[in-house]
Amino acid sequence: MIIVEDVHYSYDGIYTALRGASLQIEKGERVAIMGTNGAGKTTLIKHMNGLLRPQVGRVIVDGVDAKFLSIAELSRTVGLVWQNPDHQLFLDSVKKEIEFGLKNLGFTPEAAEEQCVKTLQNLGLEGFAERSPFALSGGERKRVALATVLATEPQVLALDEPTIGQDAHQKELLARMLMDLNERGRTVIVVTHDVEFVIENFPRTIAMAEGRIVADGSTAAVLSNDDVLERCSLTPPQLTVAARALHRLFPQVSERLSLLSELEDVVSEILGGMT
Amino acid sequence: MSFLEVFQYTRQASLVHDLDPRSKMILAFTLAFISLLFLNIIPLIIILMTMIPLLVAAKSLQRWARSMKGMSYLLLFIVIFNTLLSTVSNPFSHSIALAIRLLALMTSFSIFFLTVHPDQLAQSLIQMRVRFEFAFAMSMAMRYVPTLGQEAYAIMDAQKARGVELDKGNILKRIRNIVPIIVPLIIVSIRRALSVAESMESRGFGASGNRTYMELLRFRRRDWAVMFVSLIVLIGSIYIRFFVPLPSWMLFQLPF
Repeated sequence: MIIVEDVHYSYDGIYTALRGASLQIEKGERVAIMGTNGAGKTTLIKHMNGLLRPQVGRVIVDGVDAKFLSIAELSRTVGLVWQNPDHQLFLDSVKKEIEFGLKNLGFTPEAAEEQCVKTLQNLGLEGFAERSPFALSGGERKRVALATVLATEPQVLALDEPTIGQDAHQKELLARMLMDLNERGRTVIVVTHDVEFVIENFPRTIAMAEGRIVADGSTAAVLSNDDVLERCSLTPPQLTVAARALHRLFPQVSERLSLLSELEDVVSEILGGMT
Repeated sequence: MSFLEVFQYTRQASLVHDLDPRSKMILAFTLAFISLLFLNIIPLIIILMTMIPLLVAAKSLQRWARSMKGMSYLLLFIVIFNTLLSTVSNPFSHSIALAIRLLALMTSFSIFFLTVHPDQLAQSLIQMRVRFEFAFAMSMAMRYVPTLGQEAYAIMDAQKARGVELDKGNILKRIRNIVPIIVPLIIVSIRRALSVAESMESRGFGASGNRTYMELLRFRRRDWAVMFVSLIVLIGSIYIRFFVPLPSWMLFQLPF
């Protein structure tokens, strides 16, 4: 469980990225953090593994105040997957890259190797073990970066913009994998602008703007709130747009639909057995 | 790394910012050259002191002081190592003089870099008949220094999250810890260089041989004055250094 209490953070005392953010994420949740560029999303997740320390307020991870734990210790609990994979890859094979983090966090060489094989299998990267990360495509490098974090099996996985540069198929695989991890009790936090990805996979959404949390609740509720969408410059999900269009024509249709199956039901109801 | 701030352009309105970059270049070289002429504590302090009013005129004294504070560790290091390893008769005195000389050299160039925008630098090089491609490459290199700095911080964060403990361990371990930082930094820079080159080409870089410029630098009377004074001071200092025996108080040395 992660508790963030009234955290303020400003870079160099000039640019204020967080102006009092509070939230609580329970073990086993799937949460999306959305918001404008510069809303403080990345700054917020950097507080969860100690890369940034709150200037005001506090962060509690699994009941312990994060200020008593080092980044390395926190990283065993909260794994951060970065937006740009090139910021972390530096070894000459994917296998070494994955084992590097494991060894740093105290795995024995044998355990690291075992863990590495397992992770590569899970991510469909079996053939990549001996390849150089630098010779891979952008999307592949992103998956390798993800693998380096997944291999350490953190209790909480926080991903920064994981869907950028991934095709539909990869996105689908990513979503399935995150679901799978979540079913095994892992908490999944994702920072993204990808509305459709969130609506399909994340039951809870936290919307941020200007360093504050402006909405925190069920994804369906947050993403159908025009005020929030406007403040966080998000495009309304297609499902919401469709529901509103239908609502204008057929007032009996609810303006809020959160699942594709609901839309199908509504349409077949309107068509009244014509299908 | 905060001492590098003193080489970073700051947008301000000041007397020094207003000067032509070419006259400032001559000023900076003169100051640097004079600092290299002398190796006694008193003359070097005098040289350093003459730069203070220039920094005040550039409204940058505070920034300079902050950077120098950041550099104090490096200076301390230089003084200690020189004192221990030097073979001259008064090693401590000599090391202090060297440290002041380094300060003076940095300060003279910082007066230039603090007040000259990279574009202005490129423009002045072009007007000094340097080929446009070279001048452009140079201003681009300067333009990317802060970007590279940000990138370095992002990389450090990424590696720290993987359990690299940058500020722990003995000196060997710390040196080895540089590898996970430096390799991605180089790779990212190369990738960016390639993409910048592609985007420049796709926007027609180098398509026309004959370039014209919207803004041309012009020497004004005060630029001539700065240049004139600089040259007089330069010639005077060279003369003093080689033909005038310095009074004994100027040659003062610490006893050890």
